[in-house]
Amino acid sequence: MSAFDKYLHAVIVRAMDEAQDDGSATIDAHHLLLSLAADQGSTAQQVLTSAGLDRAAVREALDREFEHSLSMVGVSPAAYDLPGPSHASQQPKMGASARLALERSFSSARKKDLRSAHLLLGILQAQIGTVPRALALAGIDQAELADRVRQTLNSQDQ
Amino acid sequence: MSVGENSLPPDPADALAAVVALRRLADQLEDAAVEQAMRAGWSWPKVSEALGVTRQAVHKKHAKRLIAAGVKLRRRGDERV
Repeated sequence: MSAFDKYLHAVIVRAMDEAQDDGSATIDAHHLLLSLAADQGSTAQQVLTSAGLDRAAVREALDREFEHSLSMVGVSPAAYDLPGPSHASQQPKMGASARLALERSFSSARKKDLRSAHLLLGILQAQIGTVPRALALAGIDQAELADRVRQTLNSQDQ
Repeated sequence: MSVGENSLPPDPADALAAVVALRRLADQLEDAAVEQAMRAGWSWPKVSEALGVTRQAVHKKHAKRLIAAGVKLRRRGDERV
């Protein structure tokens, strides 16, 4: 296993924990984002933090997106004081949005050049779905953030 | 709540995101409701009939989780009702 493979494995394992805490049967793109935001010291985490997105802020944005989307059909999650789920019995499996984010990451560089920032870039390339909606609600300019990731990658290459 | 023609969000992105969020809410509600029922001594057949799914499906989805959470589950032999 290369250093990046090990790193990717750790990111996915943390994303799986996030999915499990959510009571989600799948690891989704936003679980990968939470995982990257919690990854102290990585380039991805530094770029996210520079935009005000530490793990707690990402979580808050996602919760807000959940409430906002439910409100679109007149449902208030606040109406349900649900206890947190006991951990799901089955390990969450890779979901479609997370797969897509990883595919986009892998196609953004040669395998030996892949780094944490490429994972973030893969997630930020989504135009549709929970992550773009959550970022927009948090007042984040997603395109600008993606550019910042690209700039960081370019400056590291030089 | 009614989702009539008038209350469908005008933007498809909002309507589709609402579907995603409702599925998540339904999953959370199912987890909590099944746990509540099993803690109250409901049997698997009763819970599965209430949910309109097979006993195998509900067992597969929830049994390990509830055992891990320390819920005392009724065995088939305990059936009294």
